[in-house]
Amino acid sequence: MKVVAVTSCATGIAHTYMAAEAIKKICKERGYECKVEMQGALGIENQLKESDIKNADLIVFANDVGVSKSERFNAYKSKIKQTKPHAVIKDPSIIFE
Amino acid sequence: MAMVDLSKVLVKQAVVLDQEPFESKEEMFDFMASKFVEAGIVSDKQKYIESLEYRETLGPTYMGNYIGLPHGKCDEVLTPGIGFCRCKEPFTYKSCGEEGEVKYVFILAIAGTQTGDEYMRVLATLAGLLAHEDFLELLDKANSYEEILLAIKNYNI
Repeated sequence: MKVVAVTSCATGIAHTYMAAEAIKKICKERGYECKVEMQGALGIENQLKESDIKNADLIVFANDVGVSKSERFNAYKSKIKQTKPHAVIKDPSIIFE
Repeated sequence: MAMVDLSKVLVKQAVVLDQEPFESKEEMFDFMASKFVEAGIVSDKQKYIESLEYRETLGPTYMGNYIGLPHGKCDEVLTPGIGFCRCKEPFTYKSCGEEGEVKYVFILAIAGTQTGDEYMRVLATLAGLLAHEDFLELLDKANSYEEILLAIKNYNI
């Protein structure tokens, strides 16, 4: 299973990075491949490639503010799980529900 | 872990271990904001507290696992910094409609016009560490500011 995610939050520092880590951690525990793009105060980091998005089985949006460059995901809307960074931090397993 | 010296970001005067539990989040804000002012991180305590309160209106900063992660961003923050408070016992932390028991508070001071990405990098990395339970165990065992610094520096995500 391949998981990609995009995280963002209001201040762009705390939730963005904590949610990214929570997603990576649960994927590691389950033996899934995982790549997380962070859209925080430091700009876009670890930007997902077109191939990452195309090959993913699951795309997680954990965002409080709009996802930048969201057009990249237009063709894969059926794979997107929309959630919030706060919810992911408190219970990362929700991304698989 | 980062280009900037972590000890400059984790504010020594704002690291408090074995604090008696607070009556409320607001009491903790007041306490920690005073520490930042004493350390020269924040120039105006009231303005900084207002920025913490403003952030609370946007969403909860209670993160589960006994963690509170309030953060204030305003022009009265002179240097970005992190404070840490470990309470002897958990206290009730009410945050934007959520409520939880908090024992570990990481409080961030972020400058209004953000400069210095290397500082932000440290704040971001620390936020990431908090998603790991074994990192929290290290925080629980630390007996001094220096031990907290070591725990952060040595923890590999």
